[in-house]
Amino acid sequence: MTISRRVFVKSGGIALFSVGLDPLFLARAALGLDRLPPPSTALHRPVLVCLFQRGAVDGLNMIVPHGDPIYYQERPRIAVPEKDVLDLDGYFGLHPGLAALKPLWEAKTLAAIHAIGSPDATRSHFDAQDYMESGTPGVKATPDGWLNRYCQHDREHQDTPFRAVAFGPQLPRILAGSAPSLAIDDLQAFGLRAPQPAARDRLTRAFEELYAGSATGLLSTSSREAFEAVQTLKRLDPGQYRPASDADYPRGKLGRALLEIAQLIKADVGLQVAFADVTGWDTHVNQGATEGLLAGRLGELGQALAAFARDLGERMSDVVVLTMSEFGRTVRENGNSGTDHGHATAMLVLGGPVNGGRVLGQWPGLDPAQRFEGRDVAVTTDFRDLFAELLTRHLGARDLSAVFPGFVADSQRFPGAIRG
Amino acid sequence: MKTRTVVSLLALSVMPAGVGAQQPALTPRDSAFHALNRLAYGPRPGDVPRVAAEGVMRWIDRQLSPAGIDDDRLAQREHRFDILRYDRGDLATMYAEAQRERRERKLAAAADTMADKDSASPIAQRGRRLAGEFADLAVVRAALSERQLYEVMVDVWTNHFNVYAAKGADRFLTPDYIEHTIRPRAMGKFEDLLIATARSPAMLFYLDNWESVAPGSVPPTALRVRARPFFGRRPGLFGPMRDPARQDSVRRRALERIPKGINENYARELLELHTLGVDGGYTQQDVIDVARIFTGWSIERPQQSGDFAFHEWAHDRGEKAVLGVKFERGHDMDEGIRLLKLLANHPATMHHVSRKLCQRFVNDDPPDGCVDDAVAAWKRSSGDLREVLRAIFHGPDFWAATNVRAKVKTPLEFVVSAARAVAAEPDTSPRLAQVVARLGEPLYLHVAPDGYPEREAAWVNSGALLDRMNAAVALASGKLPGVTVVLDSIVSAGDADQLIGVVNEKILGGTMSENTKQVLRRELAGIGDPAQARALAVGLAIGGPEFQRQ
Repeated sequence: MTISRRVFVKSGGIALFSVGLDPLFLARAALGLDRLPPPSTALHRPVLVCLFQRGAVDGLNMIVPHGDPIYYQERPRIAVPEKDVLDLDGYFGLHPGLAALKPLWEAKTLAAIHAIGSPDATRSHFDAQDYMESGTPGVKATPDGWLNRYCQHDREHQDTPFRAVAFGPQLPRILAGSAPSLAIDDLQAFGLRAPQPAARDRLTRAFEELYAGSATGLLSTSSREAFEAVQTLKRLDPGQYRPASDADYPRGKLGRALLEIAQLIKADVGLQVAFADVTGWDTHVNQGATEGLLAGRLGELGQALAAFARDLGERMSDVVVLTMSEFGRTVRENGNSGTDHGHATAMLVLGGPVNGGRVLGQWPGLDPAQRFEGRDVAVTTDFRDLFAELLTRHLGARDLSAVFPGFVADSQRFPGAIRG
Repeated sequence: MKTRTVVSLLALSVMPAGVGAQQPALTPRDSAFHALNRLAYGPRPGDVPRVAAEGVMRWIDRQLSPAGIDDDRLAQREHRFDILRYDRGDLATMYAEAQRERRERKLAAAADTMADKDSASPIAQRGRRLAGEFADLAVVRAALSERQLYEVMVDVWTNHFNVYAAKGADRFLTPDYIEHTIRPRAMGKFEDLLIATARSPAMLFYLDNWESVAPGSVPPTALRVRARPFFGRRPGLFGPMRDPARQDSVRRRALERIPKGINENYARELLELHTLGVDGGYTQQDVIDVARIFTGWSIERPQQSGDFAFHEWAHDRGEKAVLGVKFERGHDMDEGIRLLKLLANHPATMHHVSRKLCQRFVNDDPPDGCVDDAVAAWKRSSGDLREVLRAIFHGPDFWAATNVRAKVKTPLEFVVSAARAVAAEPDTSPRLAQVVARLGEPLYLHVAPDGYPEREAAWVNSGALLDRMNAAVALASGKLPGVTVVLDSIVSAGDADQLIGVVNEKILGGTMSENTKQVLRRELAGIGDPAQARALAVGLAIGGPEFQRQ
């Protein structure tokens, strides 16, 4: 039975159903919601955007060690030819699919961290994604995700309904937990459903009053947040949003998610943590080199990130985007012109606060003796070292002991992704 | 035995009016409404007066003996579910076939078939449909069964002994797990349930015990390395094998796949979640020795039924000690059975599991008195779950005013109680199960072994609340495909006040607040069409704050 891997469906208020109450409401005067909430947040709050490359991206073909002959020996069919690599520092280079990101590298707002991954040796997507989202490698029973725990324990940020938002139909494990967080599949459809705006407003008002007058405890606070969010979005009118500077988001889920994230950032609704999935990285077969499957996925990623940065313009000075993936892939290509499950991979960080223009982390080398179990890129940076750095230096977290239990965040081990 | 009888009789005579002399007594109707919210998935139209007339304690006692309750209507409904006609072997075969097809497609593939979306081969589609149907079956049973407490307990144990149905082989093992491991033992002895889950293929796969082997042990088949895929691990082992480099890598990978040592996953969760509890007083060395005891508890290949198998070659033959109890060498599988019996009757287990039951039935923060009563019953009855439950329902905490309507319904409880409130007739389409998923707790898809939490903070949030409102309005207006709603049986429409009165009575058990009445009165004013008025009133009531509580 195939059930797609969708975990923890704490969902946003997106309708499954269309509600046919309109004649009822249309027959009556529409009472608009004209009370707008006061602008709830100050400008220039830091924002962290996390993209999860599900399926384990091949870090070696994303940030290519073109200066190492072993790379070419091990990948006769799928190595990116020297002439196509966009050189970064003489040893590493960008996959040509990420060409749209090269200007960001030049502007020193893009960095890569190589040989990063989990201290746990698992090569199971299921387990490795679980560990990267729970933030507790090797411990399965952790009930919540590390981004949610950050929100639970860093109480300085004002709680708004939009503080932590996952863009997709369901709340991912990384945001599961007791801190309020939203899953939004479509900004325009968030809230009560009715075919006509007037009917929708009326239904919204009725429920708002029911809860305002009779709800107690958590039902009361959550419903207040819900209606605040609905009103905020009504004011934003997401249907009318036009990206700035002609930023050209690629079609597809990723482009749409980043566009909606940009919109919420610009609207100052208190967004602090955003999350979205990017799928299609499990390249066991016909991975391709300069062109092909992986190139296509990277092309969409690069284009979407570049559009996002362009759209946000000056606001990128408050924003860091992180890409993460559960593990990397084998150094040697397999018999199907693809790669199998490996260990360390590469992650990207991008944004104004980023200490860019550098490939960070300790490069372990590709020699079989330097590899993990003789086959995979070894992990030299625990992913928690990078996550902890972003939470500390970018979002201003002070104490991460509850965010990464059993792990001591140590600035000495931070890879240096954020400018000091 | 004697003591218990006395307690029960005493309870029977006192309880319906509410035990505590210090508290205002619940009326018979209020008692019935409370019991129907906790032991059942909420009242259907007419249930409250029916239970009140029977006597709530008598009704509870009947619910404690589900075998004596006629459930023909549900049995007939179950016939419509194809999934119940497939046994584990059928599903295993289907799964193996789907895996093979998927691999072949990939190999044949042009680049675009590699995208993460599942390739929708007919067999994969059938699998998906059956999975959806299986989730819906849980909702239908909860909604329609007369054995309400039994269905509640099935949910309790499904959650306590959680498996994740989207992990590899658990895609085909989960239906069998629910049907044949959980359901037959949901109201029996805890020990039997624990042993059954320990040897269930679904749990063995989910918590990795199937590949836990004594270090250095080698399977008899290891030397003739076979190019056969196993349980969803999917190196490209299919297709022509001409390429020697590829053959070599196949052999290497097959050897890499041979488990090389003990895996502590199951051992740890067994102690922490299933039995003793996180503060149950065990050590890391206990975890290791538990894992050693369970080495060799494994599964047959899916092509060969996916059944439980004890692999002698993989079993650690050394001596072990758990919680200070010595396990002599050389007792193979019996060591595990002995350990499970020890754990099932350990005081820490009684306390941990009783606490969870009190949390479920009484309050998110369970009162100590409830836990004590449950533990006492557990001791008296050697873990007979019916007696433990009886103690909870006969205890003063269950009826205390502070605990009545103190809990917020979980997504499953909300959806099922809403369906029951409007006398909904769900078909076999997964729509209601999809609503449960949408509200935050998809059936059989909780990824971590702890199961869905029993505290409201886990599911009450702004997005999910809006979805509850949307679901309520859709349900009441008959716009939920796959669910037939008959409002006539609940509400005979009259003027607005009459309508509000009936909705309060039949759907909210008389708990409607003045504020809600006012809002409804305003919203209903001027609606001419009685059917529309009724749908709106019911939708607002079910989506409103009173109905979220139980």
